[in-house]
Amino acid sequence: MRISYTEKVILHCLTKIGNQRTIFSILHLLNGKKTSQTIQDAHLFHLTEFFHLFPRLQRNEFTEIYKRMEKVNIIIEKENLSFKLTNKGQKIINGSSNPLPAYVNGWQYHRYTARFWERLSLLVQVVSQLNKQNQRYIPIQTKKEVHYWLKSLLKQLKWKREDLAKQLFGELSALLGKDESIRPILLVIRLSGYSKIGLTAEQVSDKLRMNEDEYHIHFLNILHYMIQQVEKSRTEFPILQQLILDDDHSFSLLTKSTSKTYQLLQQGLSIDEIAAYRNLKKGTIEDHIVEIALNIQDFTIDKYVSQFNQQQIERASKNVSTKQLKYIRQSVPGANYFEIRLVLAKNGIR
Amino acid sequence: MEKMLQKIFGYSSFRKGQRETISSILSGNDTVAMLPTGTGKSLCYQLPGYMLEGSVIVVSPLLSLMQDQVDQLMMIGEKRVIAFNSFLSYEEKYRALHQLNEYKFIFTSPEMLKSVSFIERLSKLNIALFVIDEAHCISQWGYDFRPDYLKIGEVRTRLGSPLTLALTATATAEVKQDIKASLAIENSNEFIYSVDRPNIALLVEHVNSSQEKMDVMLDYLRKMKGPGIIYFSSKKMAERTAMVLKEQGFGDVMAYHGGLTQENRKLIQQQFLYGQLDIICATSAFGMGINKDNLRFVIHFHMPMQLESYLQEIGRAGRDGGNSLALLLYAAGDEQLPLQLAEGELLSDIQIDALLHWFSQVPEGWHQLSAYESEVTAIAGLTETNYRLLKSFNDQAVADGQGYDSLLTLKQMMANQYNVKRKKINDMLQWIYSSACRRKKILQYFDEELTIKVDNCCDICGIDVNNFTISNHLEKREVESDWEKLLAEILIN
Ligand SMILES: [Zn+2]
Repeated sequence: MRISYTEKVILHCLTKIGNQRTIFSILHLLNGKKTSQTIQDAHLFHLTEFFHLFPRLQRNEFTEIYKRMEKVNIIIEKENLSFKLTNKGQKIINGSSNPLPAYVNGWQYHRYTARFWERLSLLVQVVSQLNKQNQRYIPIQTKKEVHYWLKSLLKQLKWKREDLAKQLFGELSALLGKDESIRPILLVIRLSGYSKIGLTAEQVSDKLRMNEDEYHIHFLNILHYMIQQVEKSRTEFPILQQLILDDDHSFSLLTKSTSKTYQLLQQGLSIDEIAAYRNLKKGTIEDHIVEIALNIQDFTIDKYVSQFNQQQIERASKNVSTKQLKYIRQSVPGANYFEIRLVLAKNGIR
Repeated sequence: MEKMLQKIFGYSSFRKGQRETISSILSGNDTVAMLPTGTGKSLCYQLPGYMLEGSVIVVSPLLSLMQDQVDQLMMIGEKRVIAFNSFLSYEEKYRALHQLNEYKFIFTSPEMLKSVSFIERLSKLNIALFVIDEAHCISQWGYDFRPDYLKIGEVRTRLGSPLTLALTATATAEVKQDIKASLAIENSNEFIYSVDRPNIALLVEHVNSSQEKMDVMLDYLRKMKGPGIIYFSSKKMAERTAMVLKEQGFGDVMAYHGGLTQENRKLIQQQFLYGQLDIICATSAFGMGINKDNLRFVIHFHMPMQLESYLQEIGRAGRDGGNSLALLLYAAGDEQLPLQLAEGELLSDIQIDALLHWFSQVPEGWHQLSAYESEVTAIAGLTETNYRLLKSFNDQAVADGQGYDSLLTLKQMMANQYNVKRKKINDMLQWIYSSACRRKKILQYFDEELTIKVDNCCDICGIDVNNFTISNHLEKREVESDWEKLLAEILIN
């Protein structure tokens, strides 16, 4: 039996999550929903690469997909909206491993992927036009901030316009040629320049006869590959490394609001003080702290959970095979939900 | 003037009406110019912008149109240009507002002109020229009346009555009068040019069913020379047809509509301009603002809501002066769709009664409508367009010190507007069923006379189809599969 690419992705997530969460937690994961529940699940179930891979997947589309899989008996409902693979489903998935190509990492890169593409596509177009000394063209990206970024970059780079094109070409072909398993054509075909306008994603998948979702993931794979490689050896790519530099330093793993909370924590403010200072609910600040614990390796949670409770919660989460909070809560009556989430968050990345 | 034209825009001569309009502005006269679509209306404010000191403010009704105009200026290397509209983020707005004087061209929407702080900043500028694009939107008699446009006159006064240019492609005598009165530019110069485009042949095909419509269209497409646009009244039909055309091997075809992302919209427009696409299946909501000179045909798969927009849309063909074809496909009963659309755009009596009842329970809602948007929308079942209409009426009424019972007058207003729209649809329908020369009929509608003899005029007068057809079949373009070669082609060759 043939299943679609998206179905493969969903089934893979389902093998990890099982019936411990509802099937919609997979939708939230693929959408990249920024709630502490979803972020935590991504870590607990080792599905961080899947985070934010399909930000535009709609609830009704998702429902259609899982209903179909239920109908053809690949998955079966265990209890209220939580599902398991059937034997038939197991057989299908056994033949194939993780459906994602090697470099995709949604959690790590989702925040810069779109911007990286916007910058790259505009840079290539503008450099190509400069090379031809043509000023009459319509920029392919409309966002003002990308234009500001490019303007200051061009001021900063020391190459002459004809050398600039050569340098950029050199960097791109070296980077993309290093590992051709990424299939560079899938990205290059989207680029626009003096003589040619790039294709839309729909057009590429049409021309290359690829499933649209599968193409989208392979496109992300190339972008994530590029970000990763450039991060690793910045000096090799003097122009491309500019694509991952950031003007407001938010190229960090935290959302903006959480970074602010983090700053205030480092200044020694308590949760209540921060809530009052920022005019936010206490629960929101607690969500921030869970996010910080997930992302900042050396963040210590001792201030918020006693050593005793930490041990109790860790033990309970191991004994109870399920990771549902309410079962842990039942076996550690002395801990509240915030403390449990925080401990799980800290353990999730270990 | 010619020197500037050459230097900045790279054109060697003016098109019909441009020189007259620009001269009038440069001698300091308020000006109303009616230039047919496809003749370069925007040059009429772009060029003076470079010859006068100060900023040019352009009020434009459609956000997509605005972006197209910004792009056009960017394309000639103009960086001092901004579209000040609701697409800007809060930060971008803030930044733009504080450096407004650095922009030469400021495009904005009538909605934005309600913002007190924006008007405040504008009034501090040295305004060289105040432009109202698509000025027919001011008039209740216009086919695209927008209540927000009524306030432009007031704004103009607040800005110290700067030199003003009102532009439109199509306006009947009544509409022209409304424009002048509303802007208080009764003594303006007027430049009116014929709406006729003799190089576009006009064809109507009557069919019996939507299947037959598709078949007839495919027949034409097999013979016709591209590139071309096909207009649809729904996004779904545009997409479905694009799919059919791709499958049937009509070269490279794409759908183009409001549901696309900004980036894809850009790519498709540009591909079309660069000759990488043969046919675009579009909805009328999106003007292909980017000038493509060599469009050979425009097809209407559904009838437009009035002759004015029909003319605008077919006017995109043949800007290079070459022979082009406008084909409208009509199946009996097609007018139901525009009639429904017209009704849906307006507030019904039932909706107004529901609103009256609600405001009698929550009178404070009348004075802070925005705060109750979702509630009001829900109880009266308003669409987005409906709500905007209500908001606009409410703004005016509150400013005039009127209570919610003034909504009763809205009923009459709606009835009048519906009648206008219905009449427009009816005029369109009569034109479709006409047995007299189609060109003559259109000109009559705009109080003009047909004075020249046009070869290949219309299906009634007779057309030699050989002038428009070619035999070569469109093929999809091959894609380069060697990524390094392609990258080199894009970047360095
Ligand atoms: Zn005729």
